[in-house]
Amino acid sequence: MSFLTLVFKNLLRRPTRSLLTMTGVAVGIAAVVALSSIAWGFQRSWEQAYAARGTDLIVTRITSRNPLPTPFDESIAGDLARLPHVRQVSGLLSDMVSIEDAPTVLVFGWEQNGFLWGHLKLVAGRWPAGDAEKVVVIGTVAADILRKSVGDSIHIENDDFTVCGTFDSAALVENGAIVMTLRQMQRVMEYPGRVNFLNLRLEPGTTEPQVEELRRMIKSRLPGCNAFTGGEVAQNNTAIQTAKAMSWATSLIALVVGAVGVMNTMLMSVFERTHEIGVLLAIGWRRRRIVRMIVYESMAVSLVGGVQGILLGFVAVKILQITPWIRGKIEGEVSLPLFGLALAIALVLGVLGGLYPAHRGSRLHPSEALRCE
Amino acid sequence: MPTPAPRSSEESDRRGDGPAPGVFIEAHALTRHFDHDRVQALRGVSFTVREGEFVAVIGPSGSGKTTLLQILGALDAPTSGGIAFRGQSLQAVPDLSRFRARMIGFIFQSFHLLPTLTALENVQVPMFEMPWPSSERRRRAAELLATVGLGGRLDHLPATLSGGERQRVAVARSLANEPQLLLADEPTGNLDSANAQRIMELLGDIHRRRGMSLIVVTHNPAVAACAGRTLQMLDGRIVLDTANPAGAP
Repeated sequence: MSFLTLVFKNLLRRPTRSLLTMTGVAVGIAAVVALSSIAWGFQRSWEQAYAARGTDLIVTRITSRNPLPTPFDESIAGDLARLPHVRQVSGLLSDMVSIEDAPTVLVFGWEQNGFLWGHLKLVAGRWPAGDAEKVVVIGTVAADILRKSVGDSIHIENDDFTVCGTFDSAALVENGAIVMTLRQMQRVMEYPGRVNFLNLRLEPGTTEPQVEELRRMIKSRLPGCNAFTGGEVAQNNTAIQTAKAMSWATSLIALVVGAVGVMNTMLMSVFERTHEIGVLLAIGWRRRRIVRMIVYESMAVSLVGGVQGILLGFVAVKILQITPWIRGKIEGEVSLPLFGLALAIALVLGVLGGLYPAHRGSRLHPSEALRCE
Repeated sequence: MPTPAPRSSEESDRRGDGPAPGVFIEAHALTRHFDHDRVQALRGVSFTVREGEFVAVIGPSGSGKTTLLQILGALDAPTSGGIAFRGQSLQAVPDLSRFRARMIGFIFQSFHLLPTLTALENVQVPMFEMPWPSSERRRRAAELLATVGLGGRLDHLPATLSGGERQRVAVARSLANEPQLLLADEPTGNLDSANAQRIMELLGDIHRRRGMSLIVVTHNPAVAACAGRTLQMLDGRIVLDTANPAGAP
């Protein structure tokens, strides 16, 4: 018999209690997995969007911390286009808009002849014919959520638009979005001549140091503006940061509850086994071995709970993704490192939950423990 | 050194620097008080046990038998007085767990087997403290169970064994690490007379064949009769120390 066999057999002695404790851990770990994968997925969806658009640098006001920065004058696009290595500049105005009875939808206004349109694949209908046309194209997921197809009318803010086409994008955030021309967006949002992002496409072969130099130039020549890469914008996005912070806070609470559950179970088990611990000490076990037995039991409960939690979290992500609030905006990122992290957390939980009960168990006085029947 | 307690009348007067030849345990003026001295479980107990001796400790409930056994087993420390094994004071032993694991085997009245472990696994529990690999632990445990006549019940859980069989598993467990002293606290207290007799025959047999010292605490005169010597306790003192030529030496 190995020492671990003994540990597992001890846990099987109270199967219901072990199972309930595992469930406590599983819920905590599931929260970590589900919420983290949503938060990371949120960030990745945006990174995908910037990558798909072929945007090398994004220029926006001062900070990019607001997911939808305050619009600024589009005329600086001309100044940017004259900077070295800049091949194309394309303005963009975006906002979250509540449309009809659907939850908020992301609406983009893109420059009519800008390069942003290039990466979208038309699925049905056609692209907007010109600036003056009151039409929109909608992503396939948005079409599904809003239940709209080509030819339908769609009410945005105070105006009605016709859906002239549906498209497919490599980025989920765009698939869940509505796109119109920049002029129409500026008109309906009442921001004439303004954009909140300028997308820069650089000349092929522009080196890393040259990009850095360009960023410094933009900062110094265009006061109040700053240039970021797509990844930075996604990372600095306050919405993403908030989502991450919320997910960690919620996970932490769930984990503390899980850890307290483990500790409670192990303490109960130590109290119940006081006499048995006395017997083990009497037959020569060292206190260290008592500590090891209890901590291993606690770790085993947590690890099994952790595996259950990962599965539960995976299912939770799949369910969350099809809820109307998240669908079309976030694709949960369920990755191996996340699973590894979840298991590591479960292990730490087990050690933390087991240490105090183990300490209590190992401090028992053998003769007193033996008297306790 | 703690203040010596009043000596009992039966105390041996031999108090040299080293152990006398053949002396295994030397207990001197042991006292043990509980509950802020309100309970005096031992009131000055002194005696010696020779190598390979079989001693029965008898006396009514509350006379201090179990306390004495626990002090002998290094599970409890005396309030005053001292105890030495082969001349080495127990107070000077740095690692009492190690001492217990290698020197002493315990047998309890209510067996105290782990309920989820089979007979074979229960016997292996003390062996975790020995530097033996898993296969060696298993081999030794199977051998010990065969010795106590349970060779055919290795994989039985305690719940599926009779009381007598459980106590035999406990005897096998007490022998796990080849101890030199076997301490049994009412080993037959939970058994019917037939099983009690069988356990005592087994213990007597083990004592004879392995030459280890055996101290049995009991209420049962029939059990005490198996021993070569009887210490009778009353109110925390040894009141009678008698040799029994009919019992095992």
